[in-house]
Amino acid sequence: MTAQEQEAIFRRWLDAHIGLILKVVRGCAATPQDQDDLLQDVLLHTWSSIPSFRGEAKESTWIYRVAFNTALAWRRVERRRREGYERFLKFDVSPQAQPSPADSPPEQEIVERLYAAIRQLPKVDASLALMHLDGVSYQEMAEVLGISENYIGVKLNRIRKRLADQLKGATDEL
Amino acid sequence: MNFEQFQKAWQSDDAHGKITIDAEALLKEVRRNQRHFRATIIWRDAREVGVAAWMTWLFLHWALRDREWSLYLPAFACFGVGAFMLADRLLQRRKRPISNNSLKACIESSLLQVNHQIWLLKNVFWWYLLPIAAALAVFIAAAVWRSRHIALAIGGLCVYALLVVVLYWGIYRLNQHAVRKSLEPRRQELETLLASLA
Repeated sequence: MTAQEQEAIFRRWLDAHIGLILKVVRGCAATPQDQDDLLQDVLLHTWSSIPSFRGEAKESTWIYRVAFNTALAWRRVERRRREGYERFLKFDVSPQAQPSPADSPPEQEIVERLYAAIRQLPKVDASLALMHLDGVSYQEMAEVLGISENYIGVKLNRIRKRLADQLKGATDEL
Repeated sequence: MNFEQFQKAWQSDDAHGKITIDAEALLKEVRRNQRHFRATIIWRDAREVGVAAWMTWLFLHWALRDREWSLYLPAFACFGVGAFMLADRLLQRRKRPISNNSLKACIESSLLQVNHQIWLLKNVFWWYLLPIAAALAVFIAAAVWRSRHIALAIGGLCVYALLVVVLYWGIYRLNQHAVRKSLEPRRQELETLLASLA
């Protein structure tokens, strides 16, 4: 694979799947700095994985695998120092970009609380919760994690219950 | 609220709109990172194996120059240690975790790698420290045997033994500290993750 082909695939994946990657990142890292760092790692691993992609798995399955495996290996204490690095991410944190509490639809608040609840889950459960909320099929989840669909079903029942319990008080307030 | 409502809210969230990615800068960073990674690996291997190769050459050179048989032993020991490190690196490189494998496969290979690192550090005395120390001890003992100043030679041997014990104890403790502080917690973390997938 030439560098141009790799670059073209990367750009296409970025356009099509950046939402998926960002959700994984936000579900696994809490602070903006950690999210920034993990996102850069995930993108770097995604780039490196492209030459081994043969189209046997769906692109989204592949990217979920890379993102979750990177998130599992990533640890805050081992964060690389990025001073002097050219930054390629621009978080829009201006007041105009942030909805005021009055304008904020309840969904946004729910999503924030979901992220917070997911970050409290064990790592594997957090991976499953993220995919389940995104509407990923059991088959694809099984391919990403390497476990049986039946076991996924069992785990998801527990996760749904746990998330519902965690969010019960929160959603009552909304 | 039920789970389907959570799901609906989740899927309507546009995470994409909150950040912008400079694709050109990202590609530049990716390429720079790959170059840096390759250079780090090559430099690390070159440094470790290079030192062993240089020490081998040095002892061989002295052995040939002075026609001293006991200097072949440290040369052989350094060569052995270097060859072991090189073979181990090559073997482990094939077994390293691949980020596009399934989560379970990736955790399993990470666990194997961590276990191997722990094994290497716990046994550093046997594969690294002992062969070189033993070979040098034979060389020094041979020098003492031939020496006319026996008291001085025995004194030198004692100083060597003391230095080796202190230095090796320090190296050994440093390695065990790395195992306790970094590798054992990582192994436990991976075992917990694997258990949650079993």
